[in-house]
Amino acid sequence: MMTGPLHFSADPHDADVQLALEDPARRRMILGSLAAGVGALMPWKLARAEALDKSALSIAYPVDVPTWDPNALSIPTIQNLYQSVFDSPLRYSPQLTLQPRQVTEWKWADDKATRLEISLRDDIVFHDGTRLTMDDVKFSLADRGKADKKLIVGGMLNTVSDIEVISPTKGVIVFNRPTPAAPIYLAFLAAYVVPKAYMERVGPEGFNAKPIGAGPYQMVEHLRGSRIVLEAFDKYWGGSPSIRQVVFQIVPEASARVALIESGRVGLATQLPMREVQRLAQKTGIVTKVYPFSSVYMIRIPSYVTPMDNDHVRSAMHLAIDKAALSKAFYGGVAKPLSVMTPEGTPSYVADFNYSFDKTKALAELNAAGFGPSNPVSFTLLSTNGVFPNDYDLARAIAGMWKTVGINASIEETTPAKLIEAAQNGKLTGPLLYSWANSTGDPENYAGRIFDPRLRFSTWKDMSLSPRIDALMTEVDEGKRMAGYKQLNVESSQKSWAIPLLQAVETVAYSSTLEPTLFGNGYILPAEFKYR
Amino acid sequence: MFQIISAIVLRRLLLAIPTLLLLSLVVFVVLRMLPVDPLAMLLPASATAADAAALRQQLGFDKPIPQQFLIWLWKAVNGNLGSSINFRQPVVQLMLAAVPATLELTLTGLLLALVISVPGGVLAFVLHQRRHEAAADLIVALMQSIPSFLWSLLLILAFGVFWPVLPFSGRVGDGVTLPDITGFALVDLLLVGRFEAWLSAVSHLLLPALALALGFAPLVIRVLRSSLIDAANEPYVEVARLRGLSETRILWRHMLKNASLPTITMIGVQFGFLFGGALLVEMIFGFPGVGNLMVQAVKGNDLPLIQGIALIFCVLMLVITVIVDVLYAVLNPRLRTL
Repeated sequence: MMTGPLHFSADPHDADVQLALEDPARRRMILGSLAAGVGALMPWKLARAEALDKSALSIAYPVDVPTWDPNALSIPTIQNLYQSVFDSPLRYSPQLTLQPRQVTEWKWADDKATRLEISLRDDIVFHDGTRLTMDDVKFSLADRGKADKKLIVGGMLNTVSDIEVISPTKGVIVFNRPTPAAPIYLAFLAAYVVPKAYMERVGPEGFNAKPIGAGPYQMVEHLRGSRIVLEAFDKYWGGSPSIRQVVFQIVPEASARVALIESGRVGLATQLPMREVQRLAQKTGIVTKVYPFSSVYMIRIPSYVTPMDNDHVRSAMHLAIDKAALSKAFYGGVAKPLSVMTPEGTPSYVADFNYSFDKTKALAELNAAGFGPSNPVSFTLLSTNGVFPNDYDLARAIAGMWKTVGINASIEETTPAKLIEAAQNGKLTGPLLYSWANSTGDPENYAGRIFDPRLRFSTWKDMSLSPRIDALMTEVDEGKRMAGYKQLNVESSQKSWAIPLLQAVETVAYSSTLEPTLFGNGYILPAEFKYR
Repeated sequence: MFQIISAIVLRRLLLAIPTLLLLSLVVFVVLRMLPVDPLAMLLPASATAADAAALRQQLGFDKPIPQQFLIWLWKAVNGNLGSSINFRQPVVQLMLAAVPATLELTLTGLLLALVISVPGGVLAFVLHQRRHEAAADLIVALMQSIPSFLWSLLLILAFGVFWPVLPFSGRVGDGVTLPDITGFALVDLLLVGRFEAWLSAVSHLLLPALALALGFAPLVIRVLRSSLIDAANEPYVEVARLRGLSETRILWRHMLKNASLPTITMIGVQFGFLFGGALLVEMIFGFPGVGNLMVQAVKGNDLPLIQGIALIFCVLMLVITVIVDVLYAVLNPRLRTL
């Protein structure tokens, strides 16, 4: 705790005051009274970091939860809160292996991957004390998405045709086509179980105002745009969390998050600028971590924009980027350079394939397209600013690298909403720097989605890829599925349908008294934290 | 006096109806003409064109703009501003939670701005054509050149990090819950007699309000100083001197009252500046007001919410205009005519 000297003014000609101050006993009494007076007048002295309360934790967090209906949205950054309040059927471990949670067992009932038998724990209760059963699973994961197209869960589980309820803890998820990757979606976006009876009774608005889940924490207060207060749920099947109260302070401004952790007012702050992480690392009492996770920084290429339809131009763009230099300059070398559209350690990573930086080859490719340093090719590079660490700086550096070979890219700053909208409407004006989130690590959510030309969100619109993607998405032989995705990864990189850049990095700073578990998919889950 | 004030309020209210209608129409049309698609953030990556069309129909975005506007207007007249696309909540509900917070912040900011600028303006006037005038001008120019969001960061550094005596995140401290009476934290906490919680709310309000005030005060200082310089040349000042009144009394009792009229006008006109400043200040301080909501609405292309915020902003500006008119009538007897 920082303290400063107490300053006060007294008239030096006032003999009584001087006399009083010369007497140690009276001086202590006067100073004590003054301090008490100031203390009474300044209750905000409480703003200082107080004695550590090991049952509570404040987290400086950049985004708010738009709605507490967890089936409604697929925003990756709010999954930490949804996981805390709702738990999930399955979940990826810190090392990215799929693990049981609410669902204890899952196995295919047929050899076509169209019927997935699942078993629920029998000790799961919602925050209102009612039991979570297979009826709630059916309602949340199958019925809601069909009834309301605004709910993302219907799109995330778009091949689910029904869930057959066998008993309160047993059921079969029925798919309208082979969906061998189905289990990963039980640990992915929007696949949360909500209480059917409560939702039907209060409606989506009532639920949003007072959400009830079956997670380790209950949401007890939400001041929109300011803070979310969670309290430990004693009847959580996994045991009540050791940190009883968690306050997510919503602080979109990164410098304010830095100030909060630096002044000791929060125990943990996420998504901090790299330079600030390096500075905070020098402070005593603060631990900083910069770690790679399962998202990928990439350049997505709209095939319908000239000259992105030119194979040589795209190859030149890819060859001219020194990914290792970018990682070193902006991420302290922690962000691993990628040659394929999936990070190292994930099942479709291709260890023996390397797409190297080669300026000479880039010049040759560009020359083959009829361009060069004296006759540069020009286009717009779209980039966000502040959506992921150093995004805009990264775009500028890439444009600088391209310039040396004869690619003249003007950078246009944009927002995620505009990017998504332009991509969905086929109106992108150029390639875009992008952070692709995939908390599962499965290739279906990397290359499978990135290169599926039928998706409104896709940018590489090569319709000949559709049957290939369909075949991969329905391939029940796991070995063949991975081999197919590996092949797609290599080919997409060689042909630069999109340019993989770096494995994304997460930045976090926390009190040295805290022991957080950091997940390989970037999740920050307070239920997995404890104090030393 | 009551009759005059009532007449002013009534006249303004009558004028407010066409103003609100016109503004609603302009905002509605402009938002629909912009190349933004509110469905973009609603649909999953796997959504097909048919899914998009179905959702567009469900939300009424497939209808012609005039028809959309009439539907919106009819609902708005009945107190329904639609539902936020991002928050899945009625816009009115979101606004009712956010408006009091912003009003509390901006009014406190205005109060602090006055506390700074009235003595500041008088001091700047006193220093006029004196040795320290250049220094005073420099300080005011410096204050004016720093925008509110930068003041926010400087104040956080000063009173949040280096001398950590004030909180700088949220509306109240951890563990303090706000009673839901008027939405104004300072009022509600006093009403329920929770003095310690009230102090927490005050302490949380200080830095963001000060950031707004420091951006606003220099404008008031400059106008007040100019008005006082003008007032100093008025005949009534000479008369007062001849009557033997002290310079201090002339300044504070006579000149300041007259100089306040252009200052009030300026404050009324520039009050929107405080709301504009609140946009970023609320975001930096995690303050749950309209500014914070607006940033999220714009980020998510949330057209119903943007429309609602624009309407509320317009209503607030009309109310401020009425207040300024009433103050004018109170302070200037020559304007007390119907």
